[in-house]
This record gives sequence, C-alpha cells and structure tokens, in this order.
Amino acid sequence: MSDIWSEEYTATKKSDGGDVSLYMFRKHNGAPDKNNPRPVLFLIHGSSFSGPSGFDMKIKGHDDYSLMDAFANLGYDVWTLDHEGYGRSDRTGGNAPISEGVRDIEAGIDVVKRETGLDKYFFYGQSSGALRLACFAANNPDRVARCVLDAFVWTGEGAPTLIERRKKLDQWRGSNTRPVNREFYHSIFNRDLAGTSDDAVPDALADAELPLCSEVPTGTYLDMCANLPVVNPWDITCPVMILRGEHDGIASEEDLFNFFMKLPNTDCQFVIIAGQAHVAPLGINRKRFWHAMDGFFQMPERLDPHIAEDQKVIEQRRLAGNKG
Amino acid sequence: MSDIWSAAYTATKKGKSGDINLHVWRKRVGAPEQGKKDLPVLFMVHGSSFSARSGFDLQVPGKSDYSMMDWFAHRGFDVWTVDHEGYGRSDWGEGSFSYVEDSIDDLNATMDVVERETGARTCSMYGGSSGALRAALFAARCPEQVERVAVGAMVYTGKGSPTLAKRAEKLDIWKSSNKRPVDYEFFTTIFNRDKPGTSEDIVAVALADSEAPLCTHVPTGTYIDMCANLPIMEPEDVKCPFLLVRSEHDGIATDEDVMEFFQRLPNKDKQFVMMDGQSHAATLGINRKRFWHVIERFLSMPPRVDL
Repeated sequence: MSDIWSEEYTATKKSDGGDVSLYMFRKHNGAPDKNNPRPVLFLIHGSSFSGPSGFDMKIKGHDDYSLMDAFANLGYDVWTLDHEGYGRSDRTGGNAPISEGVRDIEAGIDVVKRETGLDKYFFYGQSSGALRLACFAANNPDRVARCVLDAFVWTGEGAPTLIERRKKLDQWRGSNTRPVNREFYHSIFNRDLAGTSDDAVPDALADAELPLCSEVPTGTYLDMCANLPVVNPWDITCPVMILRGEHDGIASEEDLFNFFMKLPNTDCQFVIIAGQAHVAPLGINRKRFWHAMDGFFQMPERLDPHIAEDQKVIEQRRLAGNKG
Repeated sequence: MSDIWSAAYTATKKGKSGDINLHVWRKRVGAPEQGKKDLPVLFMVHGSSFSARSGFDLQVPGKSDYSMMDWFAHRGFDVWTVDHEGYGRSDWGEGSFSYVEDSIDDLNATMDVVERETGARTCSMYGGSSGALRAALFAARCPEQVERVAVGAMVYTGKGSPTLAKRAEKLDIWKSSNKRPVDYEFFTTIFNRDKPGTSEDIVAVALADSEAPLCTHVPTGTYIDMCANLPIMEPEDVKCPFLLVRSEHDGIATDEDVMEFFQRLPNKDKQFVMMDGQSHAATLGINRKRFWHVIERFLSMPPRVDL
C-alpha cells in the first residue's frame, strides 16, 4: 500500500475546562489535491477502541484489514478521529457520553472543511459510533451526504449484549472509565459467535491499543444501557444505510426494522450480512461488508424532477415524527 | 453498443395441447463458447404486461441507455430472458391464462437452454412486478438452480395495495377471459399511475412500438393471481440470498407488506432497499441507473468466507 498517503491532524473542542485536543488521521491514495477533492468518508469508532486501531488495523502477514486503505484505494478521502478519552486524544476525566461524541465530530469536521474545502461528507459509524453519527446527522443535516449506521441499536429492547452489559450498570455509573486489556478485546470478537473473525484480530487490536491506554470512558456504555433511545429516526433526514451483522447481539432485528421504517428519507437501505458479528468491519467477511458500504455511497444521483418536492416531504415527516 | 453479442433461442415446454415454444433472448459482451461458463448468468423475468425484450432490452429513439440487458452485459454478466407463455414472441397455448404457477415450467424449460449453452447449472435472477413473484417462486421450487434473487415491485399479501385494490374492481373481467387488451394508452397508465414524472413520456411510446407488432392482448393469469391468489408463496420458502428493492411510489404493495416478507426471509444474506423518486416500472424510470446499481451491487457481493 505504498501509494497511500497519510497525515495526522488535531481538532479542538471547546469545553468548560478548556480546549480538548482530538487526534485525527487521514488516508488518501496519493497526496490530496484541494482543487480536485475526492469524496470524504469520515469513520466514527465505538466504545472500546480508537479510530486508527480499528479502521487502519495492521496484522502481520495480512495486508487487507485496513478499512481506511481499502476505501482510499476506492477513491475516497478517508478520515477518522479519536474521541475524547480514547487513543491519542485528550483525557478530561469525563465519561465521554454520546452527546460529547457529537461535539467531537463537530470539531473534527472543521478540520475536514479546512483541508478539503468540502461541506458534506459520507459517514460511517460503528456500534456506539453509529449512535454518535445518528445524533450528529440529526443535528447537522447539512453536513451529511449519506450515512452508514453499523452495529446500531435504537431502543435496545431484546438486545442480548445490552442485557448482559446492564448487569454492570452501577459500575458504569460509578466510574468515568473502565479498564481494557487483551482478554477484553478477545471477548468483543467472540461474544456473539466465535469463528466470525480471525483470532489474530483481537491480538492486533490489543497491540495497537494497549500502548495508548489501559482504560476507556464509560459514557457510551452508560448511554446504551440506560439512556436509549438517544435519537429519533425521523430526525435523520439524509439517506441512511442500516448495516447489520447476522449474529450481532447489540440489537434485535425488530428494533432496527422499527427504526428503519420510521426514517423520513426514502433513499434508505437495510442490509444484513450473513456470517458476521458485532465488529463486522474486522470480521472474516469484512470485504462483503465493505462492498455493501461502497455500493451505498456510490449510488448514482437522482435525475427526476421531484427532488425539491421530496425534501419538503422529508421535512414534513420529521415534523410529524416529533409531534408524535 | 457494438461490443454486445446477442442470440435468440427457443425453449420448449409441454402444454396441455402440445409443445409451447418460448422465445429466449441473450446478450453479453463478446461471443461465447458453447457449453463453457465464463461469465455469471443473470436471468431477467418479466411481469404481467409486456414481454422480455420490450422491458429489459428496450430501444428508445435518441437514447442509448434504456437496455438493462446491455447495462448488465457491460458489467460482466451473461444476460438471459424469456417471453413467458402468451407474451411477445412466445406461443400461447389454447385457453392458457399463464398464471404465475405456469411460469415455473417456462423457467425450467429455459434453464435447460441456459445450461446447454453456458454449462451453468445455476444463475442469479431478477424479476419485476409479477416477474418478482415468478422469480421468487422459482427460487423456492428450484433452490439448486438459483444463487441470488433480486426483485423489484414485489407484493406479498397485497393488503393495502392501491394498485391491486383498483385492479380487483375488474376481477370478474380477468376471470372471464384469458386475454386482456394492451395498447399505447394502457402502457401510458403503467408509467403514470403512481407518480407522473418518474419516467420519460417517450418510454411508453417506445414500449408500445416494441409490443404492437407482437401482440394486441396479454394473458390475465398474473392479474388474477395478484388480485385473488396472494400470497403466492411464503418468505420462508425462499432460501437463497435475496434483495428486495421497493420503489417509493409503487402502489403495487405497501411498505409494511413487503417489509414483512423481507423480515421473514430465512437467509441472512439479504437486503431491503428503498428507492426514492421511483415508481412501479423502475427499471424504465428516469432513475433506472440507481435501481440497476443496487441490483448489480447485490449480485456482485464477494463470496462468503468461513473458517
């Protein structure tokens, strides 16, 4: 992958306690040309590991685990960010809930806008990253061209993983951080269905993460156990893909179907990938997953005369949803 | 489109009063070697109101991009279709209604030709409208022959469908005769009944020009099925990977009806795609390339890898 260009940046989030510096990482096939920008794909990580560790994974003997490289080679300008309290970003002592994650993304896109000149981007969010993204898309409809919500959960009803996680709700409430270690990373990949990922993946993840941290924030765990739903489907007005690994225990299919059917924009897709679990972009069948994502982003533009009219309909559905 | 190679074949099925010859049409890039499978086979299944080549290989004056067969041929598929009994260039057996059920024999007869010519024992299928019912039913009956199925304009129970409620008003007429007339006026209604402006006016003209030399009537069987005999199958019967594309304005079904079908499909390699700005005949709509794109992406999904 020697033709892949990469760069690090810092986004700055304002907070009551002062500036919070957030680490950003970018990959591009060849050096970017601001006069000829490629479509931006912004990747949003979940609760348990940082951006580059998950999206730019390096495994000895395998050169095909980096989602960032794969999409850079497909022609995207690929960005990710470590949320507050994760990876190479600042720790503030807070628990970095989803609401803070939305503010992180808002800080991150200022950098993307500065570097690319573009206003709207493709987004992908994984697990609680999908919740951050959904909330961000609801709050910033002018900045999201299309979004993929992967390993998403809406109400959490009937979700085996969250039922299990709620048993430690007092712990998530009692501390702003939780420990992570090699054993924990293995549990992420085996809790749904063992064999859906290569055993080398959690080890590679541990090798990438443990030099950066021994604990991560509890805010998104707390949100997913006690504060769902955090977003209304009718507030997300951009095109949406719900991407789900067959064996993912973070949500029930019914929960996601109910969410999907309430989306106001009828440019939407519900895709289930067989043989995949919660962390599908690092699974054995990750290339099926990436293929579906790319297809959604590459959808040809609409050509019919009803586009402006449909935008009004979408807004009416959003308003109707909020009226109940 | 000079790089496109095409050929016509005849498939034969046994009818009640003798052989029924079915017109089979094939397009691909470059000539094939008989019996050698070098490209994935995509089989397209037409609906109730016009024949295969008119729908999937439509030639519109001044436009070079209406042929779905050409588009998929250029993306590496060996594309096949058939005129079902009573349609287009195929025979129409005396008294036949050409129900959805009858199309299973049509497709079985055609698959023999596909296998003879390509060596392929399996294919992917696309079906639109009652062609979706035909394709899904064939996949349920002959699972060993179907790798992946994509459907558009699908209906499951028909509950709440505006188009079928309207159509059912004439159920006695459909039942009383195996023939219903088609003409330019009728083709115009197909494209305008859901949402005018989702297709170009010239399409109905081209379709009428393509069909008029072939027929003045089409069979009523699939209309009767969709008005009186739904559901034709249960989703649990279809075991292969499945794509269900639903056009936003399509009155043939409700969102809820097709979503229920999708939810109950047993194979977890499945996709439900809502298409905005599209109506019933989406493969000939202004936004047809969005529709084709979704189908192509589904059909070209990388093979599953398991430990």
